[in-house]
Amino acid sequence: MSKSSFLGADTIALHSGYQPESDHGSRAVPIYQTTSYVFDSVDEASALFNVEQGGHIYSRITNPTVAVLEQRLAALEGGAGAICTASGMSALFVSFFSLCSAGDHIVSAAQIYGSTVTLLKHSLKRFNIDCTFVDINDQTAVSNAIQDNTKLVFCESIGNPGLAVSNLPAIAKTAHAQGIPLVVDATFATPYLNNPIEHGADVVVHSVTKWIGGHGAAVGGVVIDGGNFDWLKSGRFPTLTQPYEPFHGMNFWEEFGPAALAMRIRCESMRDIGAAMTPHNAFLLLQGLETLSLRMQQHVSNAQAMVTWLQQQEAVAWVNHPDIDADTHTKTLFPKGAGSMLTFGVKGGRDAGAAFINALQLSSNLANVGDSRTLVLHPGSTTHSRLSETDLVAAGISADLIRVSVGIETLKDIQADFSLGLRAAAKIVANQVEA
Amino acid sequence: MYIQVDNAKTFIATGGKPFDASLPSVVLLHGSGTDHRGWALQARWFAFHGYSVFAPDFPAHSLSEGSALTSIESMGSWVIRALDAAKVTKVHLVGHSQGFLVALEAAVLLGERLKSVTALATASAIPVNHALVETAQKNPTAAAEMMLQWGFGNQHQYGASAVPGMQPIGIGARIMANNPLATDLAACNAYTKGSERARQLASMSCPSCVILAGQDRMTPKKEGLKLAQDLNTQARVVEETGHMLPMEAPKQSLSIMKTFIQSVEK
Repeated sequence: MSKSSFLGADTIALHSGYQPESDHGSRAVPIYQTTSYVFDSVDEASALFNVEQGGHIYSRITNPTVAVLEQRLAALEGGAGAICTASGMSALFVSFFSLCSAGDHIVSAAQIYGSTVTLLKHSLKRFNIDCTFVDINDQTAVSNAIQDNTKLVFCESIGNPGLAVSNLPAIAKTAHAQGIPLVVDATFATPYLNNPIEHGADVVVHSVTKWIGGHGAAVGGVVIDGGNFDWLKSGRFPTLTQPYEPFHGMNFWEEFGPAALAMRIRCESMRDIGAAMTPHNAFLLLQGLETLSLRMQQHVSNAQAMVTWLQQQEAVAWVNHPDIDADTHTKTLFPKGAGSMLTFGVKGGRDAGAAFINALQLSSNLANVGDSRTLVLHPGSTTHSRLSETDLVAAGISADLIRVSVGIETLKDIQADFSLGLRAAAKIVANQVEA
Repeated sequence: MYIQVDNAKTFIATGGKPFDASLPSVVLLHGSGTDHRGWALQARWFAFHGYSVFAPDFPAHSLSEGSALTSIESMGSWVIRALDAAKVTKVHLVGHSQGFLVALEAAVLLGERLKSVTALATASAIPVNHALVETAQKNPTAAAEMMLQWGFGNQHQYGASAVPGMQPIGIGARIMANNPLATDLAACNAYTKGSERARQLASMSCPSCVILAGQDRMTPKKEGLKLAQDLNTQARVVEETGHMLPMEAPKQSLSIMKTFIQSVEK
């Protein structure tokens, strides 16, 4: 496995991609809040437009502040390059858009984020891109689902919200055996807990909004090109290995090799779709990234303690976290712990679950994860409410499931808050019994 | 484009435009274990500004087939056969590191077809530590990483990139890990004719240009200055840049390259 930096992860998170600029010596990464960049000359402008020179033209395509975040995340994940986008969903979209055309096919894990299901099952379908959903850890099912027109296998390293850990080396082996790349949404893991490229992934996507930012103040996404996949040898990727007419017949594979996908996304998706990250959001997300490892340690520590605590509570019916009875691949892929998401159900079903959430005072009932604060949600009535009953079961979502993104508050305060909720849930159960 | 050289399918990058042998050709020769992509930006500029670009992947490197060549001399004669196959008549030879050693060997064989030589981050001899050659034989990925750690200058070690969003160290590592690095390094180490060839070119009044990197730890600047002396030319130094000069400072290196080659063409 090739490296992209010789610095340690914590140093990369703080320094990579930026050294104090010469004009003013700004220690923090400056916010280049500008739409466009003055060219030295017509010749320079022409060279930039024709990719004869690196640099910035227009902030829909690139921006110096955003580029720091891109280079930092590429280095952290061990990739060849990265493209930041307006959100995690747009990062997924430009990845699929760059690899697939009408008539193509995707094999996806069934247990994934609800909006990603919608994208794969409905939105891309309108453009004649089909998707087959499978149990991603059943390699026979994955292999059987791959068709002549399949362009990628997709999974989340930790599924949302079922929290199943994808066996990345096994999935990569299955995909690569048929000349297919593995695209992994690693949002729940963050680069601190797991680097999918090390385990066979070819493309890594994050919603940077979540733990990487950590503050819940900015939305953003990133696509990281692993740089290891041989797009030519696969024979399935004309978008990367055939001339691209809008850039004078540019052949991304021949000209940029390991960064072919990143350059295609830059040249096509950012230009034509324009789902660009704003420089201010990039700055905010960089502030979060700088302390990612410190926060993740507290996130994981609190999550593991909450799992144990919830398992001891009378009002709790069940608790799920990947570290509970972890299988071998989970232990191998997540030696520092498998994240800070947990799910549980309270006795009394959906009504008791609703009472639990409504009684909380510290924790926030909202549709986000990875904030430094503890967040709770009932996916069946919110993020995954558009899924059918069948899809809900496939995604590992029961009616009573409460999703918790464990924050970094003082542990006893989270427990005190959850005690309030559990007491409210218990009252519902008592009323049900009386009725 | 692909051409046949010694019955092997050989990739020649042309900078994004079809190759036209009637134009002055800028022949870009890559360094040890790398490939044509180190010249990606410079190649596009030349191709779109009145030149034809001929940037081969040497045999067994990246997109080219065939067996790896084991000496700088054999690489030099291979370049001639490749140029012959493409019917190239007006040649500006440009080489990075090992690529310039090859350029020296090719230059003395080109006769009147040779218009100029340009050296980037190189010297007339490139001795290679035996331990590095051994590592490259046993573990190419580890050897590539050792070279990249030494090869890139300070800014790139801290994640800088001339192309926004990219990681040149990561790109280089992936290219080098799959190419015959050990063979290339052994060839560099064994080559001793560089100074003699450079003086030969100077005696032929061949126009030459030497571009060095201020933070070069693989072919230190002082060795590059000796090469410039042998070629009887002045060296230009791009400061704040390491040995991977074409990738680290494509704009600055191109600026010097094009000014020089344009002056020769005038």
